[in-house]
Amino acid sequence: MNSQHEVMKLESRVRRTALRSLLLAGFAMPWLFGRVVHAQRMNSGSLLSLNDMVQPIVKGAILLNKDLQIEAPLLADNGSLVPIQIQVQSPMSAQDHVTHIYLLSQRNPVTQMAVFQLGPWNGRAEVSTRVRLAGTQEVVALARLSNGEFRYKQMEIIVTESACVDAS
Amino acid sequence: MNIARVQWPDKVRTGDVVKVRLLVQHPMETGYLQDLTGKVVPRNIIQLLSCHLGNQEVFRIEPSSGISANPFFEFFVRATMTAEFKVQWIDDKGVKGQHLQIFNVM
Amino acid sequence: MNANLNSEVSKADANADANADANADAIADPIPKKGGIDRRHFLKVSGTASAGMSLGFFLPERAHAADTPQLNVWIEIEPNNTILIRYARAEMGQGSMTSAPMMIAEELEADWKKVRVEYATAHENLRTKRAYGDMASVGSRTIRHSQEYLRKAGATAREMLIVAAAQKWNVPASECKASLSRVTHAPSKRSLTYGQLAVDAAKLEAPKTVQLKDPKNWTLIGKSIPRVDIPEIVLGQRSYGIDTQLPGMLHAAVAACPVFNGKVKSLDASKVENRRGIVKVLNMGEFVAVVADNWWRAKEALREVSVEWDVGEHGTLTSAAIMAHFKAGMEQSELAVARNDGNTVEALSKSAKVVEADYFTPYLAHATMEPMVCTAWLQGDKLEVWSSTQNPEATLAVSAATAGVPQANVKVHPVQLGGGLGRKSPQDFTRQAVMIAKAMSGKPVKMLWSREEEIQHGLYRPASLMRFKGGLNANGKVEALHIRVSAPSILATLLKLPLPRGVDGQAVASFNDHPYDIPNTLVDYAQRNTNVPVGFWRTVGHSQNPFGRECFIDELALAAGKDPVAFRLDMLPNNEKSKRDRSILEAVTKAAGWGSQLPNGVFRGVAETEGYGSWTACVCEVSVNAKNEVKIHRVVIGIDPGYAVNPDNIVAQFQGSVVHGLTAIFWGENTIKEGRVEQSNFHDYRMMRLNEMPKVEVVIAPTGGFWGGVGEPAQAPLAPALVNAISAAMGKRIRSLPLKNHGLTLKVS
Repeated sequence: MNSQHEVMKLESRVRRTALRSLLLAGFAMPWLFGRVVHAQRMNSGSLLSLNDMVQPIVKGAILLNKDLQIEAPLLADNGSLVPIQIQVQSPMSAQDHVTHIYLLSQRNPVTQMAVFQLGPWNGRAEVSTRVRLAGTQEVVALARLSNGEFRYKQMEIIVTESACVDAS
Repeated sequence: MNIARVQWPDKVRTGDVVKVRLLVQHPMETGYLQDLTGKVVPRNIIQLLSCHLGNQEVFRIEPSSGISANPFFEFFVRATMTAEFKVQWIDDKGVKGQHLQIFNVM
Repeated sequence: MNANLNSEVSKADANADANADANADAIADPIPKKGGIDRRHFLKVSGTASAGMSLGFFLPERAHAADTPQLNVWIEIEPNNTILIRYARAEMGQGSMTSAPMMIAEELEADWKKVRVEYATAHENLRTKRAYGDMASVGSRTIRHSQEYLRKAGATAREMLIVAAAQKWNVPASECKASLSRVTHAPSKRSLTYGQLAVDAAKLEAPKTVQLKDPKNWTLIGKSIPRVDIPEIVLGQRSYGIDTQLPGMLHAAVAACPVFNGKVKSLDASKVENRRGIVKVLNMGEFVAVVADNWWRAKEALREVSVEWDVGEHGTLTSAAIMAHFKAGMEQSELAVARNDGNTVEALSKSAKVVEADYFTPYLAHATMEPMVCTAWLQGDKLEVWSSTQNPEATLAVSAATAGVPQANVKVHPVQLGGGLGRKSPQDFTRQAVMIAKAMSGKPVKMLWSREEEIQHGLYRPASLMRFKGGLNANGKVEALHIRVSAPSILATLLKLPLPRGVDGQAVASFNDHPYDIPNTLVDYAQRNTNVPVGFWRTVGHSQNPFGRECFIDELALAAGKDPVAFRLDMLPNNEKSKRDRSILEAVTKAAGWGSQLPNGVFRGVAETEGYGSWTACVCEVSVNAKNEVKIHRVVIGIDPGYAVNPDNIVAQFQGSVVHGLTAIFWGENTIKEGRVEQSNFHDYRMMRLNEMPKVEVVIAPTGGFWGGVGEPAQAPLAPALVNAISAAMGKRIRSLPLKNHGLTLKVS
């Protein structure tokens, strides 16, 4: 993916930059308290089905395989750093927007790699990040819309270096 | 010490939908690795990260150990007016981080 | 600052959009079109062999000729009836460049004499979104993982050719038969060759389903077809990675920090910088490279570059400290449990007789005959790589990331490997070569490791401490077995994979899945990593665990006063779970004549295990003289791989495995002193000699119904069978390798 370059440059700038961010030991952040931190259940290392991955989140709501793109390398050179970008087609208006984007792993010990929360203020339902993949697997991006419906897409990513242990 | 770096385009006009890039220095320890003394390095990941423009929350993410070390995030935000851009996060150890930057809108 | 960021992003985007050129294709693999070699041909060609070798390997990409119809990505048929079959994995002497095409040719009903094999490439696989599937040659799985889709590819093409003929003759396809590259309509006595039908066949839609042959109807699979690369190897024409020659090519010699994970602190190249032929000295942080106009100059200059290394805290590590670290693991309170049947601790406390033993196996470097070698050429944002790699897709991905170019701009040219053994699947050396190519941008650079570098910068077979505790009841039956492993984890350290429930499957291979009918089994694991990097050595966990397991089973048999074979058979009922263990054990012990009278002083040892989807067993006959010289009278080693695709190749693989295995068993170990590996070349990391090789009798006993691997399984039962025999001969148990540490040597045959 093209942003890998830019991220690396960003990283080296971070290292060189003098401290601008603050470590806030005693700073009160009331919005953080009261959050329920869900214990992350570890899987046994087996491959989950699409249903296993999405239903705990979707819970029977409408789920359509459209309006969502995943951009990620088919061949990942490094399983610890796989760039991934999700785009959802949405007007991102007050009436019609994406509220959550979930990144799900078929094989990692923790299925829900991340959940992003968005709203009309974003203007565009597009997020990127870098993930760790425990071997070749399907990755699923799941978007929740403001009307309660879901959209999804899945993509197989080959983690080339772990070929020795991946069952194929 | 935690360090964060945020970037967006130089010139931002009202109504623009701009791309924000965010990089946080954090090891995101998975808790699966054993060090060379035979001890498990305990899990320490960013549990929650959020961004505010002024008082408006514009981005929130709950990562897991599946997010790579030195988490990188990109998202978009609609520019309305100049405001303070604030990134905040908290990790498993309870250590909180924050980064402030003025988001200038022309 | 931000403007630059945006413009770089859009430039990278544009590059990513540009597709690889449509003619990207495999390099023509120059297999001689003649069927074989005769003496005159050999003499004629070998006279010009040196000229042939200097011609170089760089051939232009073979474009898809308009008149070579492609029936699918695997099969092209030329008008003269030559069939081109593609092979998508690596060839490193394991022979699957022959057996995999045999899968296709069988169903295709091809005349093997007219088959030519060419590599598929990683860049073509990427361009076609992996039309060739997995390309890694690891885990003894090329045949067993690809056989179904390869056979289907052959069957699909066959059906299309039949339909093309039927349409041409206006007859039902059911009346046509395909055989030996020809379709025949018996009732009207008409026939056409595949070459004549290919153009029409290629236009047809591929059938959605195809019927695969019943194994009993195979005419090719199961035959000992000579390997397709043999003529070129014998004539010195075969191009290995190390043979790569390119116009204007530079050579690089490299040295990484002798203490693992160290870095360059400073370097002084003043002595060599201006020497004749030296082009550049590079400080790459983790390694130093000297680039010159030939490799000898580079290597000699490298020796005189004075480097100050930052070894961190790792410069004091010793083998003794590592052993202490493993022993501490045995006692640690938190262990990962790999298997827990019944209540083993309780059962052991009540057993009539308890046997305990610790077993140890050392770190082993691969010592592939061809060291790590990779040629890379970066021209602008286009990269070409010739890497002796077992995993060309990993090579492509890592090369692109290292060079900072889009994957679509990378070509990985296939080469033959001078041995892989698992060392050439990781891409550490590819990364180095591409970093050097980037620094020497515009020029091709061949980076080659010296033997010293290869032995001292290995990804070693992990050293492992194994503790066994077995409980026998009053009748001498094993009722409880506790196996604890204290060893590094390849998966956690090399691949950074999370371990399900903390268990590394390789560290407990053959323990957690042992077939014996023992009601209480506990297998646990203490992950004890060290600064010595570990990786996949041929046969991996099965190269060491069956040694411990099968030797310990013998110790239990001894304690029970039972014959080792009968003792095992008692614990291997003829059910789904252990019938194959039982049947291979019976086949090999029968071939070895187990139970028959042996001459004085000659002793037998046996071992059996599953590995890589195949079942193997071994019986060794040895005698040990007063000088502690071990004479190996017989090695009888067998496999049930389900189906034996190419029997002669299985024999070759097993013979080779015995060479590799005996080398390791008698002399193999890499010891650590001051944080570095003490061994450096074949004078202190000895290989087996030709005159030490015993006769190897290979028993191929396929029971059908499954597909098992062949490349690695042979080493699994060899060490325990040999050591069981030696222990019987000496009247004392040997519990660690290599045997030289017990004063034992291999007697010249």
